[in-house]
Amino acid sequence: MLEQIRMWMKQRRAGALGSHDFAHLPTAKVAGDQKLSESRLIVLDLETTGLHHGKDQVIAIGAVAITGMVIHMEDQFDLILRRPELDISETVLIHGIGPEALTQGHETEDALLHLLEWMDGDPILAFHSAFDQRFLEKTLRHSLGYSQNHTWMDVAELLPAIFPDARTGGRSLDNWVDFFNLEVSERHHAAADALATAELTLVALNKAQKQGVTTMAELNTKLRYYRRLQNMHRF
Amino acid sequence: MMFLREHAPFSSMDDTHLAHFAEHASLRFYADNDIVLSPEEGPVRRFYVVKQGRIRGERHNEKDGKTDTTFEITQGECFPLAALVGERPTRTLHRAAGDTFCLSIEHDAFVTLLSESDPFRDFCLRGVSSLLDQVNQRIQSGAMASIGSSNSLDTPLERYALRNPIVCSPDLPVRKAVARMHENNVGSIVITDDKRHPTGIFTLRDLRTMVAEEKGPLDTPVGQVMTKNPIYLTSHADAFEAAMLMAEHHFAHLCVVDEEHRLIGVVSERDLFSLQRVDLVNLARTIGTASHLRTLVSLRSDVSRLVDAMLAHGADSGQVVKIITTLNDVTVRRVLELNIKKNDPGIPFTWLTFGSEGRQEQTLLTDQDNGILFETPDGMTDDQVRERLLPFAETVNRELAECGFTLCKGNIMASNPKLCLSGREWDDWFIRFIDASTPQNLVYSSIFLDMRAVFGPTEPLENLYGKVLARIQKNALFQKMLAGNAMNRRPPLTMFRNFRYAPDGKKHTIDLKRQGLAPFVETVRVFALANGVEEANTLERMDRLAAKGAFDSKDANAWKEAYSLIQAIRMRAHQEMLDRGEPLSNYINPDDLNPLDRRILRESFRQAQRLQQKLEVTYQL
Repeated sequence: MLEQIRMWMKQRRAGALGSHDFAHLPTAKVAGDQKLSESRLIVLDLETTGLHHGKDQVIAIGAVAITGMVIHMEDQFDLILRRPELDISETVLIHGIGPEALTQGHETEDALLHLLEWMDGDPILAFHSAFDQRFLEKTLRHSLGYSQNHTWMDVAELLPAIFPDARTGGRSLDNWVDFFNLEVSERHHAAADALATAELTLVALNKAQKQGVTTMAELNTKLRYYRRLQNMHRF
Repeated sequence: MMFLREHAPFSSMDDTHLAHFAEHASLRFYADNDIVLSPEEGPVRRFYVVKQGRIRGERHNEKDGKTDTTFEITQGECFPLAALVGERPTRTLHRAAGDTFCLSIEHDAFVTLLSESDPFRDFCLRGVSSLLDQVNQRIQSGAMASIGSSNSLDTPLERYALRNPIVCSPDLPVRKAVARMHENNVGSIVITDDKRHPTGIFTLRDLRTMVAEEKGPLDTPVGQVMTKNPIYLTSHADAFEAAMLMAEHHFAHLCVVDEEHRLIGVVSERDLFSLQRVDLVNLARTIGTASHLRTLVSLRSDVSRLVDAMLAHGADSGQVVKIITTLNDVTVRRVLELNIKKNDPGIPFTWLTFGSEGRQEQTLLTDQDNGILFETPDGMTDDQVRERLLPFAETVNRELAECGFTLCKGNIMASNPKLCLSGREWDDWFIRFIDASTPQNLVYSSIFLDMRAVFGPTEPLENLYGKVLARIQKNALFQKMLAGNAMNRRPPLTMFRNFRYAPDGKKHTIDLKRQGLAPFVETVRVFALANGVEEANTLERMDRLAAKGAFDSKDANAWKEAYSLIQAIRMRAHQEMLDRGEPLSNYINPDDLNPLDRRILRESFRQAQRLQQKLEVTYQL
């Protein structure tokens, strides 16, 4: 079934190819007074050839949009980039993407343009977002010369900030997935990981609202406050 | 989305319809206690499926101002069907129980699916009851594979092809009556009076006996040799009742009458079980007339095959346990008769059975719980009578063991001098039992308070049981202790509604008898005894309690259904163990069940919890 959705999305995308308007790419929104209950958030997960953002490349992008605290299943982004020149033997084991699947991917520029349009400048959330942010920004800069800065939030910070007492036994995505008993269809598949991260985000946003956090700005403040506490603990 | 594939109705939907669902679905999260749907929101606009977690239905109880949980919806289940289809607000507050994710589609997408997907429409329109149908269908189809017939035992008799019955008046000579049977190619003739009321029946078997035993010439009026007052049923009775009556009386023919008791037709066992290889009536008759113990022993495997056949014919678990009990009764009676023939103790006695046999709830796995109630003849002491009866009982117990009724480990058997008692002694025994409520006595309550006479006169037992019931009804303390004892059997669910595994037995298994059925049996017994209900059968007790107003009739139905479903799952497991040649056990691993059965089982256990809550409230435990 996932396969069918993917096909359908591919077809839909195919129609849009080549019609991007370079001059009017969406501008990034800042975390202001938008209500959480009305905002659109992008939850994203990247798969890369390795961990060094200097030499490694993005292989696949999975993303899910949360709109008004709801994940709409048709509002998803799942693609494999074409990078036939890359030697990906190192990370293939983790992701399960082989060279064959990679070459079926989209032309990189097209895919990235499409991603930018789909994201529509909305804030981006990811688990350990610094990693995804560095890779995505580098890729956008190199491929499209695009250098606007999106608002990023780290779900790995959001969760402990909202659930300070949760005993997860660790800080990884797997730890939180287990803590909330989520079922993930295919771990280390960008789309599935993005969905799991988005589900965790829903859990956190639900709780945040009960704690009186209702706007994007307030959520950002909460995260800053959490980071400061973490830094204080280090001394 | 793959998880949907495991659950009805998605499991039987086309890929395109599933894709339609997936494209239009959205995922929402509800924290513990969040409201998902409430009656105040107006007509329901979305169709929901639980992806993870649970939804609790809450209804406000006007009487005591408390909130009752009316249902629980777990992973893979859909809601709110009735309200959505009826385009009205829900009547029940839906609240998340624990962290819960729900997939949902909007009304438009729902309507599209409803009109395009047959399995989806059937599921939504038939609602939750179709879940239960599916379980029953599967039980039947499993057994059906070995039989290949679709006759249902629920079919009313009027739908069986009732031949225009062959009748005659009682003064017709046997020779002419037989000629008439021969012309019409039937095996029986019904003798009626001028109002067409059946007064007797004459069958080919009667003719055979008549000739063999030289009862008289063939000119004898048939009225003198017929079986008088033939058993009959009305046309509304179903095939199951007919089969049970035939099995009990060992008849192959049954008169069917209308409301005014006028003969409409005759049903033969062949009509009922035309395609069956082993048939109930014949088996019961063979057991009931067996002349040697070894014949009885060899017939036991036929009983197991019959159970398979019965399940295939659509008998529900309640019917099947009754059949097993009936056949067991016939076996016990025959063993007793054969022993009396060989070695008559010369004392009239009533053979009692206790526990599950007393409740008529035996499955293929059963052990003996029996006793003797005798009337002491003048000029003898109780001990003298016992001296004669005990050796007799010992032989009977041993022979029953050979027939497959395992010897009772607790020595609750008629050969135990403490359980071979006169009416007066039994009465004393029960007085002590009820007054001195020791822990051991309370354990025994599940055995001795469910009793029934299988052989011998029944009045002595009726007198005894009447006194016992009256005493218990007056003794609030005993009732409370019984209730406390019944609460020891907790349904196997944890606080989080997961399965609680049996402390003994293999890892990750549930004991369907002790953990699943016992909470119902024990709790219902307390209510039955406290309300003077004489029946021993758990389902009948619930019926009587509902009739007396002690149970709400809706509750009683839900509890009966839950109890029957656990029983059905247990019997299917037994049947599978037999097929694999394994010894029978009551332990099952819920992971071996399909998701549907697991849900049914969990919901059934939850009903047991509700029933126990009623006991807690009633006796303020």
